[in-house]
Amino acid sequence: MEGRYMGKNKHLIIVAVLIVLTTLALKFLVFGPMFQLPVRASAEGTLIDTMFQGHFWMISFLFALIMVIMLYAVVVFRRRPGDETEGPHVHGSTVLEIIWTVVPVVAVIGFGVWGTVTLGQLLEAKPNEMVIEVTGKQWQWSFSYPEQDVKSPQLYLPVNQPVVLQMTSQDVLHSFWVPEFRVKQDLVPGRTTTLRFTPTLAGDYKVRCAEICGLEHANMLADVRVVSETEFASWVEERSVAIQYADLTPEQRGDLWHGAEGDGGFGCNSCHSIDGSTGAGPTWLGLYGRQETLTDGSTITVDEEYIRNSILHPNDQIVSGFNRDVMPQNYEELFAAKQAEILASDGIEIDIIADLIAYIQTLEE
Amino acid sequence: MGAVTTPSHHDSHAHGPEISWEVQLKSNRLGLWLFMFSEVFLFAALLVARFVLWYDADLGIVRPELSQELGLVTTVILLFSSFFMNRAEMAMEYGDRKRFLNGLLVTAVLGTLFFIGVVVMEWNILGLQGELFGIELFGHLKPADGVISGIFFAMTGMHALHVLTGLIFIMVVWNNGRNGHYSPEKHWGVEACAIYWHYVDVVWVFYYPALYLIGTAVHAM
Amino acid sequence: MKLKIWLTSAYVRGLVGQLVGTLLGIGFIEAIRGAMGLEPTGATFNLFGAIIAEPSFVFGAIVGVIGFLLAAGVFTDWLKWMVGKETPLHHGAPAGKPEWSRYLNVDVNHKVIGIQYGYTSILVLLVGGLFAILFRIELAQPGMQWLTNDQYNTLFSAHGIVMIASILLGVGAMSNYLVPLMIGASDMAFPRMNAFSYWVGVPSVVLILAGMAVGGWDTGWVGYAPLSLRAPLGVQLFLLGFWLNGFSSIASAINIIVTTVTMRAKGMSWFRMPIFVWAAVAASLIQFTATQTVGVALMMSIAERAIGLNFFSPVGGGNPILYQHLFWFYSHPVVYVFVLPGLGVISELLPVFTRKPLFGYKWIALSSLGIALVGFLVWAHHMFTSGMADALRVPFMISTMFVAVPTGVKFFSWVATMWEGKMSFETPMLFVLGAISVFLIGGISGPILGTIPTDLHLHDSYWVVGHFHATMFGGFVFPFFAALYYWYPKMTGRMYKESLGKLHFWLMTPGFWVMSFGQMSVGILGMRRRIADYDPLLGIERTHVLITLAALVIGWSVLIMVYNFISSARTQEVAARNPWRSRSPEWQIPSPAPEFNYDVPFEVVGDPYDYGLADAAYIQMTPAVSGD
Ligand code: HEA
Ligand code: HEA
Ligand code: CUA
Ligand SMILES: [Cu+2]
Repeated sequence: MEGRYMGKNKHLIIVAVLIVLTTLALKFLVFGPMFQLPVRASAEGTLIDTMFQGHFWMISFLFALIMVIMLYAVVVFRRRPGDETEGPHVHGSTVLEIIWTVVPVVAVIGFGVWGTVTLGQLLEAKPNEMVIEVTGKQWQWSFSYPEQDVKSPQLYLPVNQPVVLQMTSQDVLHSFWVPEFRVKQDLVPGRTTTLRFTPTLAGDYKVRCAEICGLEHANMLADVRVVSETEFASWVEERSVAIQYADLTPEQRGDLWHGAEGDGGFGCNSCHSIDGSTGAGPTWLGLYGRQETLTDGSTITVDEEYIRNSILHPNDQIVSGFNRDVMPQNYEELFAAKQAEILASDGIEIDIIADLIAYIQTLEE
Repeated sequence: MGAVTTPSHHDSHAHGPEISWEVQLKSNRLGLWLFMFSEVFLFAALLVARFVLWYDADLGIVRPELSQELGLVTTVILLFSSFFMNRAEMAMEYGDRKRFLNGLLVTAVLGTLFFIGVVVMEWNILGLQGELFGIELFGHLKPADGVISGIFFAMTGMHALHVLTGLIFIMVVWNNGRNGHYSPEKHWGVEACAIYWHYVDVVWVFYYPALYLIGTAVHAM
Repeated sequence: MKLKIWLTSAYVRGLVGQLVGTLLGIGFIEAIRGAMGLEPTGATFNLFGAIIAEPSFVFGAIVGVIGFLLAAGVFTDWLKWMVGKETPLHHGAPAGKPEWSRYLNVDVNHKVIGIQYGYTSILVLLVGGLFAILFRIELAQPGMQWLTNDQYNTLFSAHGIVMIASILLGVGAMSNYLVPLMIGASDMAFPRMNAFSYWVGVPSVVLILAGMAVGGWDTGWVGYAPLSLRAPLGVQLFLLGFWLNGFSSIASAINIIVTTVTMRAKGMSWFRMPIFVWAAVAASLIQFTATQTVGVALMMSIAERAIGLNFFSPVGGGNPILYQHLFWFYSHPVVYVFVLPGLGVISELLPVFTRKPLFGYKWIALSSLGIALVGFLVWAHHMFTSGMADALRVPFMISTMFVAVPTGVKFFSWVATMWEGKMSFETPMLFVLGAISVFLIGGISGPILGTIPTDLHLHDSYWVVGHFHATMFGGFVFPFFAALYYWYPKMTGRMYKESLGKLHFWLMTPGFWVMSFGQMSVGILGMRRRIADYDPLLGIERTHVLITLAALVIGWSVLIMVYNFISSARTQEVAARNPWRSRSPEWQIPSPAPEFNYDVPFEVVGDPYDYGLADAAYIQMTPAVSGD
């Protein structure tokens, strides 16, 4: 058997050369352009991208290895017309089998160690971390900065400042992903998960929710702005100005409540649009006085009582075409807490639902 | 088109190369054991879920407050039923049909008692109340009692379902046995029924401590 | 006559039974609830003006499946046995009916069941593929064109689970048809249970599709809690359908293992079995164990929704991560159920078309077991970002990478088989080569997901989508098609049209490369999974157009295959007895195979793949010794 192969060294040498050339060609001409990572904007990205390049080399090599041998065999050893002979009767080779078991084992362990070390670096706590609390809910992000005492629907980050995100969800799973930062972490209701990174490149990015979370998962985005330290400081200043509820009309307050949580609202806007587009709930444009058909077949006219009931007991009357159990059922408590808070701080008594109704009435078609 | 060329002698009841009783018995046995091995994963998954969910940050592993007496009695009843099942099978092996049938009946009665103990008393689906010798006879858990009742109903329910199928199996075998089926040499149905019943018992041997004994008793979580 | 046979077939009877059963089940629980004065709970459904509560609906769905099986006649023999009646196996077509009516009714012959699995698998593949085409058209451009978010979510979720059902059916087709033939058995060890395995799959697919009609669902095929607990009613039917499919898997896997252990021909030791049998057994080992845990996860979700037990929702103390562990403990190993039979087909066909022995038979056989076993230890690699304990992530990373080792053994042995082989390129061989190339793409895109730092970027991106389409196409779809072409003459007695087969290959393979590489490329740039709309700023618009075009090409090519098979069954020339000059036992008997496969049992006297060795025999047909 050995003898047969001695004369065939020619084939092996050609194949070896082809594998090397193909690996290089794949890495630089094919997979290089095809697998482009987005801009890198975090310190962690550097570690991760190095690992990416290592993998791309391995992908190129393995693809070349198998494909070159296979295609070479297809072209060179194929059956010529009229040839009825069989192939050589070779059953296998224990030496070869052991080699191609052991070499991948070594490669695999190598990558495993590399991955473990890198992961350790990614998880390491840095000394001067800034804490940001992240809350996800269907389908909105809000960020709160306990050290600065501000809240926001956008994520502002000072460049080169290590941050640690303390994240939780109010309903289902969500996942925090900014592709430019390379790292990702799920938000789990009922527990807190953490994510650490250091933004290194000023610019505008987006948090993209990466875990299916229902109807509007595709649109669960938030702006990320990596800015200089001074810009960050002035942004904090701006956000710290307390809202003077007494100066606002009920309609203006309703607008505020409808808005994002980070802006001091209740996030109604994530489901109820004000421009007529359909979301997880009915649009508020032209809602007041509209005739609606409910899932049980009855029709109603939207009035104050209906709106109040729909906020406090969302499952009671579902407009046909929408689903139950989508809207949170704890607004009564949330509103009461907010009203008490405002009473304590601003000394005025307000009715949030009345504000919202007033606001809805302004949204005529 | 057809996957099958019709047998040459055009007899739609043609019999293939007859599979011998020995081979079929070997297959049956292996099949049953594989099935039970498969079910190990079902019961183990629930058991694992129990240790994950019945865990409290302060108390460590917890368990629901259940009537210890009730649990112990039903467990003993179930274990005894296994004994009678074994006697029934041995009786068949020795060709004693009468003792075989009686053994099955006793097993079925004990199994039914166990089933009642779980479903009527521990689950209390009839909403009863009562005491005997100062022992609370009926359980208090309701489906809405969080993970404590979730796991409890899941584990006991899955086991009770198997007890129920086992009871049906026993009655079928009993009925067939009464009609003269089975012989000391060929009684695969009896053997399968017995193995299945023992298996259901063994599962309970793991479930009973997990539900009744291990961990700190809590009322609800 | 023809119409009558169709209308009285087990499919029609079963569907009617399912409908009746469902209504009875709903009525039963609604009546009890009415008597108890309960308000409708959970997601409700409006049935002819009556509001049906979710628990009734779930119960109805379960009773409906029993109704299907009863009406189709799956339980008939067992019920007879229960009352002590004799139940001899019935063989052949029912009296007075044509041969083809067997395929529409409950039949116990493994070849009939195998073919039933086969055409059902293709049909389900077309349905799932149609869903993909529908949502791919939406994805061709950013912005929403013709689907709503709701429709998109239901479509991709249904696409995922329907395709997986299709694969499981296809695996059933190959193992049921081939294993008894290859080991020289007259049928499976438990023919009735075999019929049950197939028939329970039918109502389960019906349930999943019906779920789309009662509100759909938006959880993807994984059905993660707590989202599944708030999704519309359709999710219940999805969970139930998925769960019922498990019965099919478990029963059929036990059958395969037992058949292989007890019914091999004389002289067929474990290392003289055709290599496909090894693959089928390894896949069955996974199927009959791991399936139970996903069953538990699904049942818990169903119960949490329908009767208010708490397991996963943190509100009552439940743990959403537990669902993921239970789910992936099955759903990772199951991907090896998909590929092992496919890789078995590759190993089976390569020697025939290279006219060389299979290189390293034992290593390939044992690597199947190795993949199956290591596959049990890696499930949490789907959860690297889930928030599970950090200490667990590293061992799962290492074990994940280790699957590459036995898989690599297969690849290297395949190319060594091809080396110096006298290859010819009929359609089955083309698909084998295509499978190797595609599965290679899928395989090598795996370790990059397995190392946690890179997975933190890639998780839930289209890289994953590209990875698993490549593994599933390369490991299952391509080999399945190769198997269909290769054993088509065995099944029908006729040859398919070679030209159409080649056309199919040359459309599908490049189409697939474009689709899969395209998906990986957009994924790495930041394209998330499961979104109906994407951000054009990511720079992925052009690639998305390419992916959609490729999807259409793949779709057309599959339709060509279907046309080829249907038309060739009637018009093509009768196939030679052994058109591929194979040494495998099933090719030594007439096509289609006789009712009991081998009129005379054979004895194994040599190695299965001794191509290139003159006069080496694998099997010897021994005349039956009377009185034995
Ligand atoms: C048939 C299906 C199939 C197969 C065979 C595989 C094979 C592998 N898969 Fe895949 N996978 C899926 C189907 C499959 N997968 C599906 C469906 C999902 C997504 C589910 C969902 O979320 O919906 C998924 C997701 C998935 C993830 C989760 C990604 C995420 O969501 O973040 C990971 C992570 O580790 C992973 C890894 C792997 C690995 C390492 C292999 C390995 O087995 C690959 C081994 C093969 C090779 C490596 C190539 C050949 C080997 C050599 C030539 C030897 C030399 C090699 C080396 C030295 C490396 N897969
Ligand atoms: C075997 C498994 C399998 C197969 C074959 C396919 C085939 C295809 N898949 Fe699928 N896919 C999955 C399994 C599979 N998929 C899974 C498990 C998911 C994950 C779901 C989840 O996230 O939960 C997924 C998700 C998935 C996504 C991601 C969706 C998202 O995350 O938003 C995409 C997007 O491009 C996609 C595309 C395709 C395409 C274009 C094909 C094409 O190859 C299809 C080719 C078309 C056909 C084969 C049909 C041809 C027929 C006709 C054209 C009409 C005739 C019809 C009738 C007569 C009824 N698939
Ligand atoms: Cu939040 Cu997806
Ligand atoms: Cu996996």
